Amino acid sequence: MKKTVLAAIAAIAMATGAARADVVVASKIDTEGSLLGAMIRLVLQDNGIPVVDRVSLGATPVVRAAIRAGEIDIYPEYTGNAGFFYNMADNDVWKDAAKGYAEAKKRDYDAEKIVWLTPAPANNTWAIAVRGDVATAEKLATMSDFGAYVAKGGTVKLAASAEFVNSAAALPAFQKAYGFTLKADQLLTLAGGDTAATIKAAAEETDGTNAAMVYGTDGAIAEVGLIVMTDDKGVQPVYQPAPIIREAVLKQYPQIEELLEPVFSSLDLQTLQKLNGRIAVGGENAGAVAKDYLTSKGLLK
Amino acid sequence: MAALVAVAFAPFLALQPNRIVSGEGFTLPGLPAAWLGLPLATLLAACAVAAAFAHHAALQALAGAAGALAALLGAGLAATALLPAGATLARVSLGSGFWLVTGAFGLILADALVKLRGGPLVRIVLAFAAVGAVLAVLAAGLWDDLSIMREYAANRDSFWQQGARHLVLVGGSLAPALLLGIPLGYLCHRHAAARGAVLAVLSVVQTVPSIAMFGLMMAPLAALAAAYPALGAAGIRGIGLTPALLALFLYSLLPVVANTVAGFAAVPPAVVEAARGMGMGSLRRLAGVEWPLAFPVIVTGVRIVLVQNIGLAAVAALIGAGGFGTFVFRGMGQTAMDLVLLGAVPIVILAFFAAVVLDAIAGRAQGRPA
Repeated sequence: MKKTVLAAIAAIAMATGAARADVVVASKIDTEGSLLGAMIRLVLQDNGIPVVDRVSLGATPVVRAAIRAGEIDIYPEYTGNAGFFYNMADNDVWKDAAKGYAEAKKRDYDAEKIVWLTPAPANNTWAIAVRGDVATAEKLATMSDFGAYVAKGGTVKLAASAEFVNSAAALPAFQKAYGFTLKADQLLTLAGGDTAATIKAAAEETDGTNAAMVYGTDGAIAEVGLIVMTDDKGVQPVYQPAPIIREAVLKQYPQIEELLEPVFSSLDLQTLQKLNGRIAVGGENAGAVAKDYLTSKGLLK
Repeated sequence: MAALVAVAFAPFLALQPNRIVSGEGFTLPGLPAAWLGLPLATLLAACAVAAAFAHHAALQALAGAAGALAALLGAGLAATALLPAGATLARVSLGSGFWLVTGAFGLILADALVKLRGGPLVRIVLAFAAVGAVLAVLAAGLWDDLSIMREYAANRDSFWQQGARHLVLVGGSLAPALLLGIPLGYLCHRHAAARGAVLAVLSVVQTVPSIAMFGLMMAPLAALAAAYPALGAAGIRGIGLTPALLALFLYSLLPVVANTVAGFAAVPPAVVEAARGMGMGSLRRLAGVEWPLAFPVIVTGVRIVLVQNIGLAAVAALIGAGGFGTFVFRGMGQTAMDLVLLGAVPIVILAFFAAVVLDAIAGRAQGRPA
């Protein structure tokens, strides 16, 4: 009975299954995830590695659970996120790019046999971006400037997610380091962590919003005229994107490491902002933008 | 009347400087291209007035169809006229006025068709004609300047792949639900004790919120795939298609079982007695008498499940199962509402289609006069 049931399930599932010799390339469902996932897929395919495309799979918990279960083989992750995976988010090691990467690499290999490959030199961390007109008028360029401006009573309304406002590592950390406090009526708290919504709010001055929570490499920032306040005191953890791959698959195709190294090394902050901008604001297809970029850099044959 | 108000006052189209910020609304009379806006507005108003004052249902239907078609064509032409030349980032999206006008004319058309009392076949033909007209407008490229078609152009291959995946999600959960649900329903009809228990359990399952259900399916399936690697190799995994199908299957059971029970219960006992009196065995009775009489109600249950699953399959995108929901969630993540529409509108059209076809089947099964 049990065998028949299992056989029946297997038979039905055969139609939906995928051959296991292929490398399953996945990514998170956000803009940058789709872009980086597409780049990984294109480079691997171009070099004769059989690939299954599961890009834009889902949110971080879904993708992380999938790689740990061996259901996907490679996806782009951020170094700072390892702090959350291993319950050490408060640790200062994440504030240093090199140390954070080394820590993430060591922990994931020891615990899950997941290998972190070469990261991109871009920091996709939480930041505050201010409307261009306000930044120019008040001469705001860094978080120290912003902190001073708020402390002396400047008009500010920040659109941010609930998580950013409440998480000790986010807004409270900024406030402590840069000496300012935002009152409740100076905050527009949105439910989701979506920077597209916060950027839109600042661009349209919804409810008087003139500042937005953003991620460093968000594409829409320059397009709508916001200026990112640089974190001159290094308060936030560093989030460098890097491809992470299951060791078993890397052993099967060791060339993946050398193939992806030049790709990720070339992606600095401005490049990622530009590419993300083409997808988020220009509405172009992530795969097409990835292909265009890789071809222009000679990374695709 | 609503159509007239909408034409005059509600913004028909909105022009956005780029994909993510809100747009500026334009009513039809207020379009900068007055050579298009004013005649179009007058035409739509004329159709609305004709529909309101028509005495014969056929004339009303004609006015409704003409108005809807004019709105469809007009939206495409107006979008092309509205878009500033060379503005590659600007987007034109459909405003509330468009939806109100099209909705109003659609209602007028539907109302007129009911009055005309066309048979089920006529309804199916008209449904095909309506969708065909929309597809013809799209294929002719008349809507290419509207934001929703720009999103389609950027996601063309993915759109059809996800569409196929959406149909797999719906069909793959409906078939097992019917195979299990209908016999289960008959069993519950015959044994009152089973009926109480089964319907109670299924009702509880139905109340679990869909996102929670999809999430709950992931963990046990992942554990199962880890324990039996053969299953994992065959494609049963904790993410993707399998948990989504399982969740949709569970949601489909209650309507199927409940409607099967109701269908069999609605068979008049006198008819069953007469069949027994004629010497029919229980299997012949079931096949020849009870099933044909219960069939219309069961088909109604299938219609409920089909429409429900078409909509619910959109949530499957959250756990990596694909389908049109992918566009909905990606659009929400990028605050690009037209990408959300690219996912939502096909779902609505599919559901509308399924409802019309199954209603027609149920109508036919209800029996033409002998």
